[in-house]
Amino acid sequence: MGGIIFLFFDFHVTENIRLIEEAERLGFTGLALFKVENTNSNQPHGLEDPIVKEDYSIEIYNGVAIRAKNPEQMKSKVGKFRKEADVILVQGGDQKINRAACEDPRVDIIAQPYRNRRECGINHIMGKKAAENRVAVELNIRYLSKTSSYLRYKVLAYFREILKLKRKYDFPLIITTDARTIFDQHSPQDIIALSRCFGMDRQESLDALSKTPLDIIERNKIRDNIIANGVKLIK
Amino acid sequence: MKLKILPPHLRNKKRYLAFEVLSERSLNREEVTSMIWGAAGDMYGACGVSRFDLWVVKVWRCNHQGKNIIKGILRCNRSEVDTLRSVFPLINRFKGKRVVFHTLGISGTIKSATEKFIRKDFGR
Repeated sequence: MGGIIFLFFDFHVTENIRLIEEAERLGFTGLALFKVENTNSNQPHGLEDPIVKEDYSIEIYNGVAIRAKNPEQMKSKVGKFRKEADVILVQGGDQKINRAACEDPRVDIIAQPYRNRRECGINHIMGKKAAENRVAVELNIRYLSKTSSYLRYKVLAYFREILKLKRKYDFPLIITTDARTIFDQHSPQDIIALSRCFGMDRQESLDALSKTPLDIIERNKIRDNIIANGVKLIK
Repeated sequence: MKLKILPPHLRNKKRYLAFEVLSERSLNREEVTSMIWGAAGDMYGACGVSRFDLWVVKVWRCNHQGKNIIKGILRCNRSEVDTLRSVFPLINRFKGKRVVFHTLGISGTIKSATEKFIRKDFGR
């Protein structure tokens, strides 16, 4: 590893004390926790916080997963939860929502744009927009491992397609486990080994597990002081 | 006449990979072995797995606090360690119950793999 210590983050984990302990053991530095979503309610999921962050040696961030039916609903929900949440994740899958999420600089992660689709869900236009707005595209290990046989080949092909667009337009990628039980969690080194299967090299997978999450946290710290794109308020 | 053994520079270069299995139901050695072979075969096919030089050397049962934990050592080819490792995240179910594999570490001999990665946290 060249003597450098990498900080690994998992930015899509369901809120559960056992998952935090397991992640600690596997060698993660930080987690973003999401409440199990109730689709009918408008409550800010994952914000009322019974887990005491100081009990654990790893960093814990509040995440809000947004599931919206249309782009307008998505925009209003993002606006509502942006102030309180550390990480905003939009559940993709619908072409219009994928597009709207990529065009919104307030969104941090677009999750599973390939969900229930017959293609990867990201095209050249969204790729450009995501790179401009620094919206990270999620590669979901749970989505890959729960499929079997020919569906798995397809998911690997979608990951490859996203990777191809990433190399062209340079939008951030993020690998998450989307863990709901401890049986979904894997150690960072195993995930890096797995990412070779869809053609990522070592540096790219380290960026996806470590640099992209750090960028998201960094941007959230200065977000309040940013007035417009490229204009920052100095106090 | 005593048979000659293969000279060292022609032997396959090996690595030993320590792993652990957490599962909802208790597993035995055969089940762990078949899961690894099955998943490797699913992912890389006969051609890929033949290059792994894969062998499950030994497994230990170390149940702890009501959790079913099995630890073990695999042998594989030196150049295919990372490829074999990538099989582990894809194993998630066995006979309808959840299982998960984690790599504990990689080592050059069985002895050091046992000492470094298996024995170290036996009393965990």
